[in-house]
Amino acid sequence: MGKKGVPEWLNSSLWSSKPCTDCPPIYASEPLKPESPPRQRSPPPPQPPPPPPKLEPPASLQGDPGSPKFSPEEISRQSQILSELSKKVINIGELRRLVCQGIPDGARIRPTIWKLLLQYLPNDRAFWPHELEKKRSQYKSFKDELLQNPSDITRRMDESAHVKHAVLNDESRALLQRSEITHGEHPLSLGSTSVWNQFFQEAEIIEQIERDVKRTHPEMQFFAGDSCFAKTNQESLKRILIVFAKLNPGIRYVQGMNEVLAPLFYVFRNDPEENNVAHVEADTFFCFVELLSGFRDNFCKQLDNSVVGIRSTITKLSLLLKKHDEELWRHLDVTTKVNPHFYAFRWITLLLSQEFEFADCLSIWDTILSDPEGPQETLLRICCAMLILVRRRLLAGDFTANLKLLQHYPATNIGHLLYVANKLRGPFISIFISLMEKPYNRYGLHVFVQAFGSYWRYSVIIAGLKFMYLFDGKMGKAVFNRLLGARHPLKSIKTSLPKEIHTKNGVNFTSVAKLNE
Amino acid sequence: MVLVLALGDLHIPHRAADLPSKFKSMLVPGKIQHILCTGNLCIKEIHDYLKSLCPDLHVSRGEYDEDARYSETKTLTIGQFKLGLCHGHQVVPWGDLDSLAMLQRQLDVDILVTGHTHQFKAYKHEGGVVINPGSATGAYSSITYDVNPSFVLMDIDGLRVVVYVYELIDGEVKVDKIDFKKTAPTQSAP
Repeated sequence: MGKKGVPEWLNSSLWSSKPCTDCPPIYASEPLKPESPPRQRSPPPPQPPPPPPKLEPPASLQGDPGSPKFSPEEISRQSQILSELSKKVINIGELRRLVCQGIPDGARIRPTIWKLLLQYLPNDRAFWPHELEKKRSQYKSFKDELLQNPSDITRRMDESAHVKHAVLNDESRALLQRSEITHGEHPLSLGSTSVWNQFFQEAEIIEQIERDVKRTHPEMQFFAGDSCFAKTNQESLKRILIVFAKLNPGIRYVQGMNEVLAPLFYVFRNDPEENNVAHVEADTFFCFVELLSGFRDNFCKQLDNSVVGIRSTITKLSLLLKKHDEELWRHLDVTTKVNPHFYAFRWITLLLSQEFEFADCLSIWDTILSDPEGPQETLLRICCAMLILVRRRLLAGDFTANLKLLQHYPATNIGHLLYVANKLRGPFISIFISLMEKPYNRYGLHVFVQAFGSYWRYSVIIAGLKFMYLFDGKMGKAVFNRLLGARHPLKSIKTSLPKEIHTKNGVNFTSVAKLNE
Repeated sequence: MVLVLALGDLHIPHRAADLPSKFKSMLVPGKIQHILCTGNLCIKEIHDYLKSLCPDLHVSRGEYDEDARYSETKTLTIGQFKLGLCHGHQVVPWGDLDSLAMLQRQLDVDILVTGHTHQFKAYKHEGGVVINPGSATGAYSSITYDVNPSFVLMDIDGLRVVVYVYELIDGEVKVDKIDFKKTAPTQSAP
């Protein structure tokens, strides 16, 4: 478990929690006082028996795509999602709300959900076959038109012009007939309208795409390696990127698009439905277009310095950090001069696909794609949360250490990250959402299991520390922090912070107070 | 879709100064995959220039070549076709179809590229096709002074070959093409 430092304000008073309504019976033995005095920072005393080892949590809630373990709360959420999906007309708002906390993918519904979220499939189930048919045939026509090489094109032109072909092996001796070339097309043509010339000009882009595709996720069997499977997947990725580059002369292909495409393709390729797998390329292509349409300004070089370009997005991130954690922002920007461009560029343009394990990346994308605020806003919030979660290390580090840390972001608990990101919402949205939703049971439960499941051995020490805390709050809190790392149980949005803790450590809690308005 | 350039009989610097500028502007690196040069370059500088156009360069020995290390004949396989290369001064009578057909059967190739006559020709006979790209610089030959600069570009695509003939006639580049295909695929060599 990571024993990371916790941001003070996040760790305060959050040990009191609402009991999770879907708790398994085993926790019934550990009574949680819903309104236990917030002053008591230690968790409710670890009563016997601590959960048996079999409830040891997986590293991340989504686990590896192969065999995830699900809590009952997740199973209930999954069934809610399934019921929503099976309706005739799907309520996208409701689906977004459910998916926002992640998709527990036991039923392998992620491909369908992503297609709905990216508006590839219409809300009304009845229209699905028709839409799919239309889009897939459209992709096929794109492919036929754009993926030809000039030889084929000239052959087609010849056939229409009825040019004679001589056959090599037949029994005749003759001077071979010369014929006129059609439309002035020859391979060395330098004309701008020449098919050949265009082909050679695009050859560079195609070469670039090929190189990048070969380098996508070299650690995954799905993408890399010599197997036939990996090669067909690479070919599909290549074709999708080439069609995209040819259809979008404005941005063509930019390095990094392959990384954005890879998770999409992976998810859609692992669709349990055979029919969808057969047309995975077409589906991925359109979803890729849709996903990129929100972010395409990040890839356009000309827009770099404009209001919509990547620089302004990075500035937005910087301002967001300043709003939520001024001390950290000041330390990063002013004291250590770590320019956000150094780390945030990759985070934002690649939608965090390079920062985490692949499975974690899929869960982050669940949130990014489903959040009602929009993908870019959500992405910025998650990036800000990433910074805040490692704030202790950042505050202690200089330029080199910080840069190194941010460019190789340490493995972290994704559930926790998304929880913090969610907390960073603007006040109106958070009120709106809190009015619409149950508390974040998932996170709370997960944290409990982690805290107690792993540390049950230290229950005695914890009890001792709690005792110490009563006598000398500061020291107890500090040691406590260090031991238990970044875990803290659920805090309901509705309870408020005690005024006492605000002043006790002298740390600025105003941002937290704001969250609780 | 493999592009193969066939040219030869440049005779630089003895009989011609350089390739025609119009040809030079068309021949840029990066487009051509193979070059077959029939011979008589004659100097190393031309060899280097051709090498810059395409790293896969094959040259056969012409009687005026200053580099004695080129071989008399060469064969290579590109896609489904076997190509043979020879300068042609060894084959007597020069440019005679029957003798060239004999050479082709000897080399066992589908397409034989020879030069020496400085005249573009493309013959077809039972065994295959003989292509003479002519002289790329328009240098005079042992037989005639009336030579148009020409070279040949072959587009090999599966079982089909499109031969583009580039000739410089009265200062203008004229492009023609010849289309032919094979019926049976080549057996892969054991």
